[in-house]
Formats: sequence, structure tokens, C-alpha cells
Amino acid sequence: MNASGIKLGLGLYTMLFIVFLYGPLAVLAILSFQTGPEGGPQFPIIEWSTYWYKHLFGLTPPSRIAPLPIEQALIRSLTLAVMTMIVSTVLGVTAAQAFRKKFRGSGVVFYLIVLGMMVPGVLVGLGMALVANTLGVDRHWWGTAFVLHVVYTFPFAFLVMLAIFNRFDPSVEEAAWSLGVTPTRTFRKITFPLIFPGVLSAMLFAFTLSYDEFSRTLFASGRDLTLPLAIYGTFSVEVHPNVFAFGVLTTLFSFALLGTYAVLMGLSVRRARRMAIQEDT
Amino acid sequence: MRDKSWPELVGIQVKSVLQLKNVHKAFSGVPALAGVDAALPENSYISLLGPSGSGKTTLLRVIAGFEQPDGGEILFAGQRIDGVPPHERGIGFVFQNFALFPHLSVAENIAFGLENRAVDPVTDTRVVAAKVRDIIGLVGLSGLEGRAVTQISGGQKQRVALARTLVTEPSMVLLDEPLGALDANLRTRMRGELRTIRERCGVTFLHVTGSETEALAMGDTVLVLDRGRIAQSADAGTLYGRPASADVARFLNCYNIFSGAISDDAFESPVGRLALGGAQQKSGEPAYAIRYDRVAIRPLHASAAGDEVRIEASFVASEYSGAAINSFFTLDDGRVFEVETHLSHAAPETFEEKARYALVWKREDALVFV
Ligand SMILES: Nc1ncnc2c1ncn2[C@@H]1O[C@H](COP(=O)(O)OP(=O)(O)OP(=O)(O)O)[C@@H](O)[C@H]1O
Ligand SMILES: [Mg+2]
Repeated sequence: MNASGIKLGLGLYTMLFIVFLYGPLAVLAILSFQTGPEGGPQFPIIEWSTYWYKHLFGLTPPSRIAPLPIEQALIRSLTLAVMTMIVSTVLGVTAAQAFRKKFRGSGVVFYLIVLGMMVPGVLVGLGMALVANTLGVDRHWWGTAFVLHVVYTFPFAFLVMLAIFNRFDPSVEEAAWSLGVTPTRTFRKITFPLIFPGVLSAMLFAFTLSYDEFSRTLFASGRDLTLPLAIYGTFSVEVHPNVFAFGVLTTLFSFALLGTYAVLMGLSVRRARRMAIQEDT
Repeated sequence: MRDKSWPELVGIQVKSVLQLKNVHKAFSGVPALAGVDAALPENSYISLLGPSGSGKTTLLRVIAGFEQPDGGEILFAGQRIDGVPPHERGIGFVFQNFALFPHLSVAENIAFGLENRAVDPVTDTRVVAAKVRDIIGLVGLSGLEGRAVTQISGGQKQRVALARTLVTEPSMVLLDEPLGALDANLRTRMRGELRTIRERCGVTFLHVTGSETEALAMGDTVLVLDRGRIAQSADAGTLYGRPASADVARFLNCYNIFSGAISDDAFESPVGRLALGGAQQKSGEPAYAIRYDRVAIRPLHASAAGDEVRIEASFVASEYSGAAINSFFTLDDGRVFEVETHLSHAAPETFEEKARYALVWKREDALVFV
């Protein structure tokens, strides 16, 4: 095969990849602009409109289609994701820090932590429901489900931080100690700024995994639903394009989240470069 | 050799800033330090010489508190410090890879210790700035204050590492192969600068190196570490002229060494009987050592005078190194014998490859270990 053939092949492959990645999203986005309330969730588009977006925010005249019951669920899911993100990241950083020194039983503890992301979610969720029933504990999204979210996302944060610490040169910490700086202050002023990009990645992982977690939450969240559960619930009645409109909005939200991540990441990298530029001018 | 006032010669009892007594350290059962004893005098430059794997880094890390010794005592300024955490020891450390804080500028790196140390931190930014300015002048980094430490050269990084440590005014600084990452030219220049900077600050430097020339050139005292023990502690002149054992002589890289045994008036070596007559040195293992620059190369037919020792060998190659030529010969048992001829003493001679020559030296120039 010649070079241009390889290029063509790779180009085709990339095209296919993009089609499969963005195809569903594109279909979703197009259908969300279907006219309402009589237009359904299928092609062809009868007429372009933003009816379903207005419908989401209750800006349309009342019709036979009820507004999506997701407002509370959205708030719950966001709160849960933030809580999970904070707790998992703190746990992940501290656990990875502990693993920098070999300790007795570290191998066993490692597998125990990683197990949290390996075991099937449905089983863990069901198990949690049984345990809660046996102990007479009420199931809530902020209780039982929260615990499961942490158990699930903590290993991801832990593994990210473990990789970061693997590449971390411990002699900068020793250098700080030898200058008379306490280990606590050294962690705050030297170690943390240097591992910050990793911490950001761990936070991103924990947040997104928790935000759209389904199987564990299904059994463990009790009466009040989180967003993925609420959306799933609407499917069982009748699907209207308002779900698609909502899907587009959450996707935009995810992009915003990624954007924030990229900006924060860029800032910590650019800091060094900025100093160099000041020097040259 | 440099002229120096070695305190013991003058009879002054210097206070020692650091004392090591029988310090042990093993890594998973393999000893890295096997009973180190040493006393380092105050306000002096000490080099620690040893081959790779002899435990130099381990010794420095134990002194700094990054590693805990398995046994023994470490006294710093009269106080026992084994068990004291590193940040409470007041001992500076300069790393081979410099270990600068990559997210801070040159000035911030230097100010870090002053501002953040647990004991007596300097909170007045003007005082910090003044101290940083002084030390930057001392190590010759003026103009680079705001530069990121990822944007400076190896020699400049070395100076930042040194300045960062010196500005906190430790009474002792440990340097682990501080010149190892620099190129040969810069290394020679930094040698002189390190000595000057140390003299101005009046601290003790313990400088680890694997290079015998660096150790001899820099140290007021040279400690030789061999297999986790101090094999010799002496000033450079003594060390070079009178190594304490065949092993030390071997590290110095300026002696031809024969093993063998003493019998009556001669040393029985693999290349024949070598007549005795020079200094004898007590050490565990009998050996006969002759310095490279004490050997003369003569034609094969030339005979030795009464006070000389003569062996024969065939010429292999020569190597010019500026002021001297090093010639390599193979002895009858296959080993290499090196001769250093200073060009100020003689015009360079050319020798014929594979031809045999007589190698001759004065009996009294040899050093015999018994
Ligand atoms: N963290 C460690 N774990 C296990 N063994 C170690 C460790 N550090 C050092 N050693 C061993 O201890 C011995 C001494 O090592 P050390 O690093 O002190 O040598 P060194 O004299 O500094 O050598 P070099 O000149 O190559 O730097 C070596 O045999 C080494 O393999
Ligand atoms: Mg070393």
C-alpha cells in the first residue's frame, strides 16, 4: 500500500468515527427543532421551530403534553454530582498520597478500592437496597445513592492521582523540607500546585460519572429521582421532542464544563510561559 | 597540590559541626552504609569521594533526614539529630537534578525557604527582597530574577539551587554531585565559584562526587567512602601521596597496583620480585603501588641503577591530555600499566607499538601496603 492509500484509509476511518460519535447527537439536535405541539419525534421535520425549547421552560400555552418533570431532578443530580466530585477527589488525592509509600497490605487495599469501579452497578445498587432495608435505613439520593456514587467514582479519581504521583519528582518536596518548611505547608505550597492539573482531571471524572450514573442510582435513590432516572421515566409514557431539546441543552452544559476544565488547565500551564514572556520584553 | 593550613598540622583543635558514629543503613537486607564514622570540621569544604554504589547518596540522605538510619548516632552541632524530621534539622541540601520548584520564578524559588519555614519565617517582603537580591548577587544570577526556572540553563539552575539553600543560612550544606549535570567547561568554572561562595558564607559544605580530581581539587578534607565505610579521611595532599589502602589508591586513579605478598626484602608480585625500600602503610590487604607519574620509560637494553626497580612491558598506546602524556603498556600477565610523563620534564617521545620497553622507578617512590 502506498502513502496516499494509507492517508485515504485513515481519513475514512476518522470520518466514520466522527459519524458514529456525533450522528446520534446530530439527529437529536435536528429533531429538537420539530414543530409543536403536534410534531412527533421522527422525520420528516414538518416545520422548523423552537417550540420544544420554550415548552421546556413553560413558555408555551398549555397543551395536552405535560412539561417534563425534571426540574427537581436536575437540581438533585447537580448537587449529587458536586458532592460526589468533592468527596471522591479528596479521597482520591489522599489515598494516592498514601500509596506513594509502600505499606503493609497496600496491594490488597489497592484492589479493594479499584473493585468499586469494576463490580456491576445493578448488583451494587440492588445490594445497597437490600442492606438499607435490612438495617431499616431510608433510601435517598443524598444518602444511599451518594455513598454508591462515591464508591464508584473514587477509584477513578484515585487512579488518575496515582498516575500523576508516579511522574512526580519527590525531591522537590525534600528540597522544601530541607529549607525548614513543614511537610503540611510543603504539600500546600509545592505538591498541590504541581499536581493541580491531575486534581482537575479527577474532578471532571467524578462529576461526569456521577451526573449520568443510572444503574446504581436506580435501586439506591428511593423516592426522589435523579435526572437520568427522571428522563428514563418520561420514555415509558410517550416520547416527545422536548426530551431532545433537553438533551441538546445538557450536551451544551457538558461542553461548558469541558471548556472550564480546558481554561483552568491552560491557566496552570500558561503561568510559566507568561513569566518567560515578561522577561523577554 | 595547593598550599593549605591543615588545622591538625598547626595544632588547632577545630570544633566539628557534624559527627557520625557507627551509622548503619541497609536496603532490604543489603547494607548501603556499614558503620560510618566521621567528624566534619566547622567552616570547611569537605569532599566525599567514592565509586558508584558506595553509599554516598545514602549517607547524605541519612544526614539530611530523608532516610532513617538503622543504627548509630548522628550529632549536629552537638545535638543528636537522628529521628528529628528533615525540616527541623537546619541542614541544606543541593540535589544532583537541582529539584527547583518548577511553578515558581527564580526569585520565588530563592525566597521560598525564607517565607515558608516553620522557625523564624521572614514576613516582611522588603527584608525578603533584600536578602534575595544579596544572594542573587553572590551567586551571579542578576537579571534573571523573574525568569521561570524551566527557562534557564543548567549552570544557572545550579546557582538557583545553591542560592535557595544558602539564603536560609544553614550551618551546613550537603551537595550531591552538584556539578554532575554540567558540561566539562562549566564544571571547572563552578568548582572555583563553589569554593569562593562557601568561604564568603562560612558554612560547611559536604560535597559528594565520583570524580577524584574534583574531590582533590575542592576539598579541604577528603573523605573516601568504600562499600559503606569511610576508608580514609585526609587532606588532599596526604590522600594523594599516602592513600591508606590499595582500594583508596585504586579510586584515586593515579596508581599502578600489584597484589601479592611480602617476602624478606621484596614484594612477590605476578610480574616478578619488586625490591622494597619505600614507605610501608598498614592496611588489611598487601599490595604494591607506584604512581603513574613516578615511572620512567627506557629502552629495553637500559639497565636499572641500584636504587631502582625495573620491569618490562610492551607498549600499547598513548593519550595526550594537555600538559602530560599517558602511555599504556601491557605487562606479561596481560594487565595494563600506565605511565604519566609531564611534558615540562621531557619532550614527547614516540614509542613503537607492541615493542618492549623497560619501566623503571625509584624504590623509595613505591608505596607498599602490608
Ligand atoms: N531506595 C533504595 N532502595 C534500595 N536500595 C537502594 C536505595 N538507595 C540506594 N540503594 C542501594 O544502596 C547502595 C548505595 O547507593 P547510593 O545511591 O548511596 O550510592 P552512590 O554512592 O550515591 O552511587 P552513585 O555514585 O552511583 O550515585 C547501592 O547498592 C544501591 O543499590
Ligand atoms: Mg548517588
